Amino acid sequence: MSEELKTKVQDLIDNMINPAVAGHGGFVELIDVQDNRVYLQMGGGCQGCGAADITLKSGIERLIKEEIPEIQEVLDTTDHAAGANPYYTAGKA
Amino acid sequence: MTDRLLLLLPTTTYRTEAFIAAARALGVDLVCASEKPNVFEAEAPEHLLTLDFADPDDAAATVAVFQEARPLRAVVGVDDTTTVVAAAIAERLGLRANPVAAAGAARNKLEMRRRLHDAGVPCPRFRPIDLHGDLARAAREAKFPCVLKPLTLSASRGVIRADDPPEFVAAVERIRALLAGPDVSVTGEAARTILAEEFVPGREVALEGLLVDGRLHALALFDKPDPLDGPFFEETIYVTPSRLPHDVQERITTVTAHACAALDLTEGPIHAEVRVNDRGPWVIEVAARSIGGLCSRTLRFGTGMTLEEIILRHALRWPIASLQRERRPAGVMMIPIPRAGRLRAVHGVAEAEAVTGIEEVAVTAHLTQELVPLPEGWQYLGFIFARAESPEAVESALRAAHARLRFDID
Repeated sequence: MSEELKTKVQDLIDNMINPAVAGHGGFVELIDVQDNRVYLQMGGGCQGCGAADITLKSGIERLIKEEIPEIQEVLDTTDHAAGANPYYTAGKA
Repeated sequence: MTDRLLLLLPTTTYRTEAFIAAARALGVDLVCASEKPNVFEAEAPEHLLTLDFADPDDAAATVAVFQEARPLRAVVGVDDTTTVVAAAIAERLGLRANPVAAAGAARNKLEMRRRLHDAGVPCPRFRPIDLHGDLARAAREAKFPCVLKPLTLSASRGVIRADDPPEFVAAVERIRALLAGPDVSVTGEAARTILAEEFVPGREVALEGLLVDGRLHALALFDKPDPLDGPFFEETIYVTPSRLPHDVQERITTVTAHACAALDLTEGPIHAEVRVNDRGPWVIEVAARSIGGLCSRTLRFGTGMTLEEIILRHALRWPIASLQRERRPAGVMMIPIPRAGRLRAVHGVAEAEAVTGIEEVAVTAHLTQELVPLPEGWQYLGFIFARAESPEAVESALRAAHARLRFDID
């Protein structure tokens, strides 16, 4: 079951998600699917980006849950502090 | 039907993670708006919006169209750059928020000073300075020491103390250059005028509050144990609860409430900077937003509610079980940028986190980032968080942890 879900999620990442985030120099990598939870890592322009949470929760997670209703949650395992080239850099407004 | 919430999230704010987490914890239907398009906006137009935060009327019109099909229950701007546009959207949609003029007054330091002065709120004497006027004359007429500051920037950016006419002229020229920079998008009066105000000696504190139907509820009073005497005003350590006498703390809350009333702020979070000396509390600024950076991680209320959950509940008109902060003292250190250059490496994070009382060291600057110190800069290397049995222990832990960190900058 998990392998089947993994394959579905990987297809979404390859065909819909990564082409979108590539516009900001980013990419998303599937780490695992366990207990209907997807574990991702964000890289490139997404790693450390000030808008990464918006992209993850309002973009990537919604897309995955719409296409694969069995998925309950998408979790970000990225070390955003290690991002060397974030698309947006946060500051204190 | 699930309540729908619009969050205004600038792409460069530190506040996104905390507010999105709070929205998810509340289970609301979240719509995120930024000033630049998200890469998934085309795929999720019902959840992602692009708004011109610099044009509140245009943004309000866009949201009015959006909400015809997807009604909104609340709108929340998460930092300074979104307070006015949030008020404009709320006014257009009939949602809970400050009046637009009040949010605008709190966003413009000159207008704020005028309103506070007219209402008799103790605040520094001030005058506007024309950036393109006769600076030598303005310097001769100034009273020293004074503090020069841009009208709309935050985080002490561009704030400079001057002790004599040559320092005054140099400071104004430095601020003028800053305001002309490509990363500063001020227009109108804020691009032509800055504020010169009396330097008020004393200890500085920050009051975090929530306005509900015009009444101020003090959520936390932070001491700032490092002196803020200039020439630049870099904020470092915040510790709550305050160690000031109880009666002084009450006077700080009272004068802040007067300042909010003078500005006509009535709803939502406020963050006030107040100086205290032997003449009492002096209101330096009141912002119609919550505490900046990641600093809200120091705050927990009731049985563990975050500051952001309280703010969202208030905007949604949901009940709030308690506005009582936890008893345990807490604090944060905004890690200052020691010098300009590129960040190459960070050392000592594990050692810093091993200090008793330290909960987290969050380095937010990324490797290779170009670091700009104050007064031109507006970012931090990161944040250190502590909790301990006393405010003194919190402060000690923060200093000890900071001493173990080393940043390679070249």
